Amino acid sequence: MDFRTLLKTKEFVILDGAMGTMLQAKGLEMGGTPEALNIDKPDWLVDIHRQYINAGSDIVYANTFGANRHKLEKCGYTVQQAIPAAIKNARKACEGTDTLVALDIGPIGQLLEPTGTLTFEEAYDIYKEQILAGADADLIVFETMTDLYELKAAVLAAKEHSDLPIVCTMTFEENMRTFTGVAISSMALTLEGLGVDAIGVNCSLGPKELYPVVEELCKWTNLPVVVKPNAGLPDPVTNEYNCSPEDFAEFAEKLIPLGVKVLGGCCGTNPEYIKKLAEMLKGKKHVSVHNDIPAACCSPTHTVVIDQPRIIGERINPTGKKRFKEALLANDIDYILGQAIEQIHAGADILDVNVGLPGIDEKSMMVKAVKSLQGVVDVPLQVDSTIPEVLEAALRAYNGKPIVNSVNAEDSSIENVLPLVKKYGAAVVGLTLDENGIPKSADKRFELAKKILDKALEYGIRKEDVYIDCLTLTASAEQENVMQTVNAVERVKNELGLKTVLGVSNISFGLPSREIVNHNFLMMALTKGLDLPIMNPNIDSMTATVRAYKLLTNIDKNSVDFISHYGGEKKTAPAATGAKAEIDLPYAIENGLKKEAADLTAKLLQETEAMNIVNDMLIPALDKAGAEFEKGKLFLPQLIQTAGTAQACFEVIKNYILSTGEKSVSKGKIILATVKGDIHDIGKNIVKVLLENYGYDVIDLGKDVDYQTVVDCAIENDVHLIGLSALMTTTLVSMENTVKLLRENNVDCKIIVGGAVVTADYAEQIGADYYAKDAKESVDIARKFFGN
Amino acid sequence: MKLEHINVKEAVRYMGMGNNKPDERTALLIDECEKELLKVIEPKFVYRVFDVAHKENGVEVIGTPLFLGGNDICRHLEGCSKCVLFAATISSGVDRKLRAYEAEDMAKAMIADCLASAAVEQVCDIVDNTVKEKLSGYNQTWRFSPGYGDLPISVQRVFLDVLNAQKFIGLNATENNILTPRKSVTAIIGLSKNEISKGRRGCACCNMREVCQFRKRGDHCGF
Repeated sequence: MDFRTLLKTKEFVILDGAMGTMLQAKGLEMGGTPEALNIDKPDWLVDIHRQYINAGSDIVYANTFGANRHKLEKCGYTVQQAIPAAIKNARKACEGTDTLVALDIGPIGQLLEPTGTLTFEEAYDIYKEQILAGADADLIVFETMTDLYELKAAVLAAKEHSDLPIVCTMTFEENMRTFTGVAISSMALTLEGLGVDAIGVNCSLGPKELYPVVEELCKWTNLPVVVKPNAGLPDPVTNEYNCSPEDFAEFAEKLIPLGVKVLGGCCGTNPEYIKKLAEMLKGKKHVSVHNDIPAACCSPTHTVVIDQPRIIGERINPTGKKRFKEALLANDIDYILGQAIEQIHAGADILDVNVGLPGIDEKSMMVKAVKSLQGVVDVPLQVDSTIPEVLEAALRAYNGKPIVNSVNAEDSSIENVLPLVKKYGAAVVGLTLDENGIPKSADKRFELAKKILDKALEYGIRKEDVYIDCLTLTASAEQENVMQTVNAVERVKNELGLKTVLGVSNISFGLPSREIVNHNFLMMALTKGLDLPIMNPNIDSMTATVRAYKLLTNIDKNSVDFISHYGGEKKTAPAATGAKAEIDLPYAIENGLKKEAADLTAKLLQETEAMNIVNDMLIPALDKAGAEFEKGKLFLPQLIQTAGTAQACFEVIKNYILSTGEKSVSKGKIILATVKGDIHDIGKNIVKVLLENYGYDVIDLGKDVDYQTVVDCAIENDVHLIGLSALMTTTLVSMENTVKLLRENNVDCKIIVGGAVVTADYAEQIGADYYAKDAKESVDIARKFFGN
Repeated sequence: MKLEHINVKEAVRYMGMGNNKPDERTALLIDECEKELLKVIEPKFVYRVFDVAHKENGVEVIGTPLFLGGNDICRHLEGCSKCVLFAATISSGVDRKLRAYEAEDMAKAMIADCLASAAVEQVCDIVDNTVKEKLSGYNQTWRFSPGYGDLPISVQRVFLDVLNAQKFIGLNATENNILTPRKSVTAIIGLSKNEISKGRRGCACCNMREVCQFRKRGDHCGF
């Protein structure tokens, strides 16, 4: 019998109990490698599996939890040795029974980027190796997972290299989240989207403490639910668990009405627990629960249910934005992150991400943008491209359940995009247009919406995951059709029961006072059933319209959200000490008054050359701060505040230059990198801000940077000054290697090194040209180097 | 477990301000960052007690594959029959918050980074006190971490495995033995029935002593 049949035919499926606990009882030392025993002590494994089979397990997990290339390193066996041996032992124990053998796979043991250094693609590769080595199992179980991203890599590796059923269980703490902050809803939405066979929870807590976790999970899925709790909680000194087999079965019984289908035990359990569990389950009926899972998208930490209007921020898009285009061309991810954070502070619930621009590699930029954004923001993303390959790359790299923007009613679009939406478990925006363009009438657009829905259902995409965009046309050009859009929204919403999306800002193109037109149109569309306005949340009248709508329609109960935004005192930045009546730019910079400094810069630009503002005001103000810092009168947090303010001025100047075509203020290009292996890059980032303030273009390669990347970047961009940073004694050698490689490749450059553990002597010893003891000194060196 | 506040005084020292009082604007930023950090800090720790065997070139942790090599750890555990291995973290939500600050405002990022470092030390203090309560019959040494003195940081992975720290508190190490989440600590506390001399702590056995920013200013990191 296979796993899927087992699920259909048995009321409950019983798993086994702990492996580690049993192996320790047999003599495995703490911190030893359990998987080595598959080869060294096969009898131990066969015996343990047999005990569980005799206790009533329908499935035993082979001893492969940590059999990945990273964890096996220290024991000398390979994945290809440890995994087949484990499955062989389990099979031997199962002889003469119907018991199935699961390939058991736990976390790799290293955190993924950006908190760790392992990439998503490397994680995928590590899992792929395990899946291929375990092809003889009956099913694949991923368990004790705490990072949804790592689990996604694992599931994709399994789906793409095996036909075996997949079970995923994650480990939640009492705060209903995993160690990396994954929410239960996000886990369920993402994994069900990826098409796994069963999901659930294991480890961390006992069956009693896991009740609320299981209760929540059962609300978010219609897949079979798996629960494999610990034998209660361990005592930190004795390591003994506090839940007896009898209590374990008793608490497990309480989980049955929630809809649990598959049960077993994790740490601290043994065959006695499984026996009691089997006895308890005997004669009991599985409780089938059907949930209407709502339309929703999610990041790992945050689920956005589309049960009320949700704002999709439109600003991450280069169309019509010179500064954004420049940032893309310069690979300036920080600019994109800044745009993201600004929109979220303004009220965006979801962010659209479009990085399409001629002259850049849209696919790699999209992956980079998605990875960087999800490392920083909690809101879900809507990946936006006209190119299916770009969409697929984004869907792969995304952590959670995203929205795809977009598919349209053309057959080729449907055939290219919908399979991706299905495979990666996303939601999708369907545009009501086809090869004949946008139909004028609401009825025709409705027809196209229906076609998209029907096709999506054929591909196995849930109805709730199809959002329709009835397309806004500009009122100045096609005034007579504005109401067609609004009416189409109403029909799609009411007759098809689908969620609706609309890019709002287009309506006013070519008109004066666009804001007035925009927020009135927005309100009209909302009252007709618009769920997802794609708009600029930074314009308060727009966000306010959505908030007012929610207040007036009784969604925002007791006007709590509205009042929190518009009631009482507005939050203001702390005033400068010894405030002047009239402040000037140097004063604003010295006192860290960002907004004032930016406004003053904009005003000055009307009469002063950009370069003069930089040379006569920004730099002297920074110099003054720098000198006081050196004297110990000013401390680092203050120096950085000053620098941050100057940065705001620079942003204004950059925008101005781009709009007028005036000569750039760049004083030279510098590469900065935190060396391979090192993930502490705050120091480097402080240096970056200061250098940028002095008018240097910084190419920031980030942290954990390969030696070769530095070399390639210097050659490609014709850069002659390179700054390297290391914060750990263990990564100093990477600094040395980077310098060495630059020299070997005869890169014509000077190298500055710095960081907590670097000394002047060390700098000289590894052949660097300069040692900078702090950020200020890096600037001094750059000025000397460029002679400006 | 929750932290109610962060030891701001300590954090201000990490910011390079010694015992100076922060100016008004910085103080406001510190206040804001502290509040935001406290929302995401999830303090967690795991510890276990082991018997130790003193060898010529290091200390064996009995019942585990862990060998703590070097003269400094020998000195640290001199006269100790047992040791506590512990790992503590304020969890990955903090890493995320710090990344967000770096994208938003470097001053906040720098301040929050120092506050987070102070917070993880507070969790270590909690471990210290917990050990004191649970093992009241022993005198405790201070906390000695892999990478201090001549104790190689390469013991990090086995150290974490022995504590099963990945499973219990979500703590991992990179290929270069850097702890992730970043604001985390692993350390060894010696347990002795005898009095422990006060002299066995401080800069002398710290491998950061030559480059330490605190020492350069004539200050001390607190150990």
